[in-house]
Amino acid sequence: MTVKVEVIEGGIPHTKIMIAGIVSTLVCLYLTYLNVLTSTEMFSFFGGLAVIAALIWGSHTIKVLCSYGIGTGVPSAGMIAFGSGVIAMLLATKFGIMAPIVAAVLAAVIGFILGYVSNNILNMKIPAMVQSLTEMAVVGALSLMGFAALMTGRFTFDALTTGHVTVLGMSLMTHQQSFIGGCLIAVAFLLGAIAIQHPFNACLGPGWQQDRMLMLTAECGFLSMIVAAVMSFALISTGSAIISLIIAIIGWVYTYKEYMVLSKRDAAAWLDAKPIPDVEGH
Amino acid sequence: MSAVAAKPAAGGAMNPTAMAVGVVMLIILMGICYFIYPAGIIPLALIVVGGVLIGFGVHFVPVGGAPAAMGQAPGIATGVAMLAAGGGLAGLFGGAWAAAAGQDALVVVITGGIGGGLMMAITCMMVNFVYVFGMGIPAASGKVANDPITGDSQAEYKSQGTEGHGLPFVSFVGGVIGGLFAGAGGTLIYLELLEVYKAALPGVMQITAAQVLPIAVSAAGMFAVGMFLVNAVLTAYNITGTIEGPHDPKFKRWPRSVVASAVASALCGLVAILIVAL
Repeated sequence: MTVKVEVIEGGIPHTKIMIAGIVSTLVCLYLTYLNVLTSTEMFSFFGGLAVIAALIWGSHTIKVLCSYGIGTGVPSAGMIAFGSGVIAMLLATKFGIMAPIVAAVLAAVIGFILGYVSNNILNMKIPAMVQSLTEMAVVGALSLMGFAALMTGRFTFDALTTGHVTVLGMSLMTHQQSFIGGCLIAVAFLLGAIAIQHPFNACLGPGWQQDRMLMLTAECGFLSMIVAAVMSFALISTGSAIISLIIAIIGWVYTYKEYMVLSKRDAAAWLDAKPIPDVEGH
Repeated sequence: MSAVAAKPAAGGAMNPTAMAVGVVMLIILMGICYFIYPAGIIPLALIVVGGVLIGFGVHFVPVGGAPAAMGQAPGIATGVAMLAAGGGLAGLFGGAWAAAAGQDALVVVITGGIGGGLMMAITCMMVNFVYVFGMGIPAASGKVANDPITGDSQAEYKSQGTEGHGLPFVSFVGGVIGGLFAGAGGTLIYLELLEVYKAALPGVMQITAAQVLPIAVSAAGMFAVGMFLVNAVLTAYNITGTIEGPHDPKFKRWPRSVVASAVASALCGLVAILIVAL
């Protein structure tokens, strides 16, 4: 017995979002390779844009999956996406320039097997399960790779485990001050996991609108990108980190305003409750 | 009908064919590990044991979800993934602390289990505190007439129209046992991966053992967290949201979860070990 509680009415079909998501994520990830070609770190912000593209795709996948009553809450979907994604992403970083593609393929294999396990062994019998878990593992892996590229400017294993500290004007190699060695990956993990599960959790219900949810995803993504860009000051040059931070802040302000407009559009009525009310007659 | 009100799709039935396929997949994954990286086969087997401990242990934890928050179902008022992550990660921290202090493996795993159990005990106690003194509801199970441990009658305390509320004694004990299993399982995964990385990464990366330590700890911890969440969510899918504890009829579904966790842990563990083999 499977109950599909909400149907997608109108809006962009899921297949289109999926194809656009994977293409734009991979393109943005490869654009960070300009860092290597030009020997700078200026193009790190493309990693953050890759994260946002992947998250928009992922939150729509969560919508497809959680429209069936899976009974475990929406956040669990975000957790399994990044739990399976981080495993694929860490192995894929060993493959040099092929890393983003290997991450996508490996995550798809892991997600497919997990989907089979949940649908057949655990007897979930949800039609969208296998495809959704496959997609979400890919989203998790590519988002984490995007965060890695945003914070370090690279996405290969050696670059993610090696950092530099400057002591008395000398640059020393260290493994502690790096994306993996400093465990920045743990923060990236949760920044992504929260950003992917929040939008559908917040927007679900009879008044669900696709454009409003996807705008909220972009807003959450830029908010995560702000934090990641601040953290990137530790690993890449100050100028490059400032570029990422400015892009993240501009994107966040824009998407936040757009989301507010869409929320007011869909609301039955709204009252602009001021933080401190003006008390009259005193 | 909203997504919250929809009834879960999965029933309690087993699927023997899929279980057999799962066991075959487990053997194939172990075989791949044996051929590519023979030294990794024993760590992988122990990782599978850790994953199974997590999958089995989570069944004991009284998960109430949204109905529990409204006092309409027994259990802790949050989802499986959050509870398992809380209990398991507390265990993982305890175990990692013992591992850093240079204890042997058994002590580390037991410390991890105690960390998880302690976290669940504190959570269960404070939850009951809030239920009884904050919301003014007594603890009563809706699934059994008498508490299996204390023998206390439940029906008199159960409000009409609810499935029970609060945390009865058996659920409390279940929560602590679940925390013990999950914490020990998570720690076992972390410990095995840490040993593999500490042994193999210096050769792979051409650096000294002291330099490799932060990378080994961080990567092993991250993989352990990832595998923990995968196992916890698969178990959440198995019990479809809420469970009262070991006395709940849904508890009988654990064989499915054991096979599923074994396959998932073998798969994720294999990928994690391949990072030093490729």
